Amino acid sequence: MTRTFDPVIRELRDMLLQMGSRSEAIIEKSFRALEKRDRKLADEVITDDLEIDRLDVEIDSAILQALALNAPVAGDLREVFGIKMIATDLERVGDLARNIAKSARRSAERTPLATPPTLEEMARSAIDQLRRALDAYARSDVEAARAVLDDDDRVDAQEDEIIVQELTEIANDSEVAPQAVDLILVAKNLERVADHATNIAEDVILIAEARNIKHASKLGAVS
Amino acid sequence: MTQLISERELPSAAAEPRTDAGGDIVKMSARGVNVYYGDVHAIQDVSLEISKDEVTALIGPSGCGKSTLLRCFNRMNDDIVGCRVTGDIRLDGEPIADSEMDVVELRARVGMVFQKPYPFPKSIVENVAYGQRIHGLAKKGAELDAVVENSLRGAGLWDEVRDRLDSPANSLSGGQQQRLCIARALAVNPEVILMDEPCSALDPIATAKVEELIDELRGEYAIAIVTHNLQQAARVSQKTAFFHMGELIEFGSTSEIFTNPKIQKTNDYITGRYG
Repeated sequence: MTRTFDPVIRELRDMLLQMGSRSEAIIEKSFRALEKRDRKLADEVITDDLEIDRLDVEIDSAILQALALNAPVAGDLREVFGIKMIATDLERVGDLARNIAKSARRSAERTPLATPPTLEEMARSAIDQLRRALDAYARSDVEAARAVLDDDDRVDAQEDEIIVQELTEIANDSEVAPQAVDLILVAKNLERVADHATNIAEDVILIAEARNIKHASKLGAVS
Repeated sequence: MTQLISERELPSAAAEPRTDAGGDIVKMSARGVNVYYGDVHAIQDVSLEISKDEVTALIGPSGCGKSTLLRCFNRMNDDIVGCRVTGDIRLDGEPIADSEMDVVELRARVGMVFQKPYPFPKSIVENVAYGQRIHGLAKKGAELDAVVENSLRGAGLWDEVRDRLDSPANSLSGGQQQRLCIARALAVNPEVILMDEPCSALDPIATAKVEELIDELRGEYAIAIVTHNLQQAARVSQKTAFFHMGELIEFGSTSEIFTNPKIQKTNDYITGRYG
């Protein structure tokens, strides 16, 4: 039986997945702009982010309409709620890509400082985390979502490693401080991308299992 | 009609109020209830509890047995030819089919509000005072005036009718008539109020007023409401029971049922996949 709500939720999912693929692409592009010291590519990121923002506004409006006209409950309600949460995370991913693009633009104007291999690995990890979280959503795959959560620590460790490396660079040669600080900022932004991937994975679990595991370890420790 | 209540050993009327798994005080309970209309097995082995100070919503597709079960709680099915009820239904731990339980007294303690408001063809004040009279509670003068005023206030109608208490009840709007019927039920000091789709004939504003009233009344009465409006069940009740083809499929807290039902059939019904 087809419900009047089915096309509504399908359209919301489509919009979210479109936003997801754009978010993956924009992060990749921003990191490429940094590696290649490509100002033009960095400028494209700023424009691409506007499209993500536009989709975010469209999703907001479609969600308000779905809530007002369809009054979803149970799994339908969780999915609508989850879509809103995931869209917010993806919109932030767009902003983080914009930040990386700004670092890329600045780097392009300075004496080059080699991109540390760990930062490249970190970019791959963060993008991979985001892709896997979105795939988990698209397939309603709770196990895949859990695997994303398990991998979050790796990105955090990579960020720590880059901070230490770049601080050492600065200690050795204060001239490279502006470039090194930008690399730290890029690492910070990538770490945030992985955090948003984690949030998305948590939303996948909430949608599928009605279990909110956000902040579970912190809240568990308090109670 | 025959009213058969099984004779299996039952706990004596508890001195302490019984509580359910969530710690709520049980006002009415149904255990292993079956209802037959001739050969039709309309309710199949249903057990559930109606708690004090709570609204329990009974939901399910047409013909699922929710109104039939509601009518069991004040023995309204006694009046239906060919209807047979078995099982154990209790009010404050006392079996309601007990020969010592007077059905008129039972219906004073367990009042009912129907789908369509049926005010008597009398004045507003006479409608409210009527129950006091037939239940032999009749008071006169100021005492009766106070009962009428309190009941109309309880039903959220006093301010709208205080200046025209002697007007015919059918001069009121549909929503006011339904609240008058609620006032009429309140006038005999019930402990439980059964509502069978009380808003289905009302417009959204009148519905909102009745829902607001239900929320206020639940502090003093145990309320069971049959409704086809799922959003209404979600708005007004604390517990929800989902019925399908005479069976109780799922019974639990309303917030659980509407966010995370445990049974697929419940999920399919509330999300509109069938029904």
